[in-house]
Amino acid sequence: MTAQPRWVRIVGALAVVSSAATVWLALWVTPPDKVQGNLVRLVYLHPPIAWVAIYLAFGLAALSSLLYLWRRTRSLFWDRVAAAAVEVGVVFNALTLVTGSIWGRPSWGVWWTWDARLTSTALLLILFLGYMALRRVPADPEIRARRCAVAALVAFVDVPIVHFSVVWWQTLHQGATVLNANLSPTIHGSMAWTLLLGFIAFTLMFVWMVAVRYRVEVLSDRIGDEELEVSLAERWAEGDQAEPVAAGTGNGNGTSGPGQPFVAEPSGSGR
Amino acid sequence: MRYVDAGYIIALSVLFVYALSLIVRRRRGERALLVAERDLEAPVPGVTVSGVPVPEGASGADEQLGSR
Repeated sequence: MTAQPRWVRIVGALAVVSSAATVWLALWVTPPDKVQGNLVRLVYLHPPIAWVAIYLAFGLAALSSLLYLWRRTRSLFWDRVAAAAVEVGVVFNALTLVTGSIWGRPSWGVWWTWDARLTSTALLLILFLGYMALRRVPADPEIRARRCAVAALVAFVDVPIVHFSVVWWQTLHQGATVLNANLSPTIHGSMAWTLLLGFIAFTLMFVWMVAVRYRVEVLSDRIGDEELEVSLAERWAEGDQAEPVAAGTGNGNGTSGPGQPFVAEPSGSGR
Repeated sequence: MRYVDAGYIIALSVLFVYALSLIVRRRRGERALLVAERDLEAPVPGVTVSGVPVPEGASGADEQLGSR
């Protein structure tokens, strides 16, 4: 059993420090906007959360799934990375909808509207919740991994739809501020730097969460294997104990099955 | 400011609780793995593969259980 690597703890610490700095700059240092007033402070929260959910988490899930499906790189490592990324992504996706709704109420006058950006983002959450449900269906690890990899790729089709929804349809949601067609951010000064720090902080948070969640996945798989081996050892031991009574002969040489390596033979047992 | 405050409080609280839950799940997993590994190392009490009953205390399993 190995502990969490050192780099994970460093990333975790950096995520805490950068998040605290972002909140301080966002709420106390940056000026209010000419049009939106103090509501603009949500720009340091909502877009970085959406960036993590839609692009980082689901992008990593799709990439890992692709690498799992590709024969040359097929490994359960990629399946576990995808599982970790999806769970973290679902949390961030839900927060994207909640923070967007909180921003939408004073800006648009409604908590929710069936706008293309909002609807496609909600659909993305439902699709990846489906992925998580699929993971819970009992199956052989390889079969489960293959099913989930396909599901992740199917769900990922919605990501470009979310991104281009503000271009393809007329929506209430504003267009891209940073990742626009010219790649020239349309905000300036302390606002831009605080937004950049927000993106860095939430990205670090995502990396830490995926690393820890991956470790949980590995532990869960190993516990499953160990429990299976213990159950098998017990079963074989029971079988060996019952056999002499039933058959009257027994298997005295201790080589009766796969349970053998798990149970120590007492010393001097006459072997 | 109440919408802004609500946004920050909800988002940061959810992320904090989720991060905490990940740490708890990891620690619980590590503990469960340790227990499973001990179970695997310890023989089934009173039984060997050959079916010869083992006297109490000779199996080593009691010591393992006692140290948990």
